[in-house]
Amino acid sequence: MKLSPDQKKVSEKMRPGVITQGGFLGDDTRLLPEIIQKDEERMEYLKTDWDMVSKVLRRFLKEGKKGLGEPITIDEKWLVKVDESRGFLPCPFGDGLHRKTTVTLKNKTNDKSLVYTALTLHLLKNHHFLQGKGSFFRLEPDTLKEVLEL
Amino acid sequence: MLTVLLPAVYAAAVIGGISVVLALMLSVVDRIMNNYGEVKININQGQKDLQVKGGSPLLSTLAEQKIYLPSACGGKGTCGTCKCKVTSDIGPHLPTESPLLTTAEMKENIRLACQVKVKSNLSIEIPEALFNIKEFKTTVDSIVDVTHDIKEVYLKLDNPFSISFKAGQYAQLVIPPYDKIKNENQRAYSFLSTPQETGRVGFLIRLVPGGIATSYVHQYLNKGDSFRIIAPVGDFFLRETDAIMLCVAGGSGMAPLHSILFDMVNKGNTNREVWYFFGAVTKSDLFYVEKFRELEKKWPGFHFVPALSEPKPEDKWTGETGLITEVLDRYILKLGADREKEGYLCGSPGMINACVNVMKKHKVKEEKIYYDKFA
Repeated sequence: MKLSPDQKKVSEKMRPGVITQGGFLGDDTRLLPEIIQKDEERMEYLKTDWDMVSKVLRRFLKEGKKGLGEPITIDEKWLVKVDESRGFLPCPFGDGLHRKTTVTLKNKTNDKSLVYTALTLHLLKNHHFLQGKGSFFRLEPDTLKEVLEL
Repeated sequence: MLTVLLPAVYAAAVIGGISVVLALMLSVVDRIMNNYGEVKININQGQKDLQVKGGSPLLSTLAEQKIYLPSACGGKGTCGTCKCKVTSDIGPHLPTESPLLTTAEMKENIRLACQVKVKSNLSIEIPEALFNIKEFKTTVDSIVDVTHDIKEVYLKLDNPFSISFKAGQYAQLVIPPYDKIKNENQRAYSFLSTPQETGRVGFLIRLVPGGIATSYVHQYLNKGDSFRIIAPVGDFFLRETDAIMLCVAGGSGMAPLHSILFDMVNKGNTNREVWYFFGAVTKSDLFYVEKFRELEKKWPGFHFVPALSEPKPEDKWTGETGLITEVLDRYILKLGADREKEGYLCGSPGMINACVNVMKKHKVKEEKIYYDKFA
């Protein structure tokens, strides 16, 4: 698989130290389109809809903010903590700036949890990009399904 | 066979040679084009004149001259903290600056020092207080858990060995490269300690998942380690009035209020009425409670109101419950609308906005509400 000039540019921005210190690709040796393709296949296999996942994660982000920095229980099942930092992060695909907001979401029933940011959410919804394996903010399709109970 | 291969070898050698020459030319051009030579920076209309080497961002150029502008992201252009007024013409705002500046700031020629490159003589304006900011070499004196996700860190100052700051101000912690993090980073943390403790400074660091600074402190920093800080920074400090102080914090937001309140005690300034609302989720997230209960005994006008938003049955909690804004709302009502009040807040932008709204609802003037809006 060869990268297009645009994909090369995006992959460059995803390297550690360009937008975020850790980057977006982790230890993943696969190329960007392959990472996206494999995750799309996995999401389809799990019958997990991208828009639905995005909608639910966005709701937790919005509701979690009501905890004012402290964890808050939503629907008696999910423990959500939203941390906000000063500033914005640009999307590596070049479409928009996102507040530095980190969400820690835990399903209290099965003890499964995940961490995402406002930018992660945008990458998921708009680019079907869940980040490379080994990236701190990588969202595994299976974990998404388990935590969100979709 | 050889006669067939020779032209290909020659061609490869020629292409290789051309590539080397081109690379050399590019390198020479780059050196010439990016050599800005010596450049002058005039600060505050002649208050300070610097002679510097051009070509680097204004933020790091000033830092090399020991002038430290506040920066929460360490120059990556994401926090918008390193604002300064550039009075000489350096061209239009860059696309990386615009999202972090208001229209009014852009009209005022406010720029992000981390994005502006020093290419020619410059005139800038910065607050005079920034001249007092210094870099300190320190050693970790103690590092202990105060809750499951907050560490109390004390640093002994090695060079310079003492510091002067206002209670409520903050320091930039310089996080060295570690693990996959290849560059230095800076993050802002409020002083926990009081200004009277001049040789040692304390901080509260709450773990943020994936956070560069907080992960370093929680997973890598040990007693005896060397550590650098840049301080003091910030406009959050006690205003000397008689108004009732309404202090609100949660988690590591405890730090500046702890510093302010114990500074008042150390100075014998305990005539004011103070209400300190501290929010947590369960009892295990509370800390320093005994310390503040002791303070209540010594300071009749001081009231500590911890509140839990989701107490567990085993907490056997009999104190206030609910979000800290709800508790604040209930108490302000009791304090009466006619008495002058000031707000002192520390927390996330969301928490601060919510508290400001509650205070404004109860006629606390917005200009009397003080905070540093960072996580």
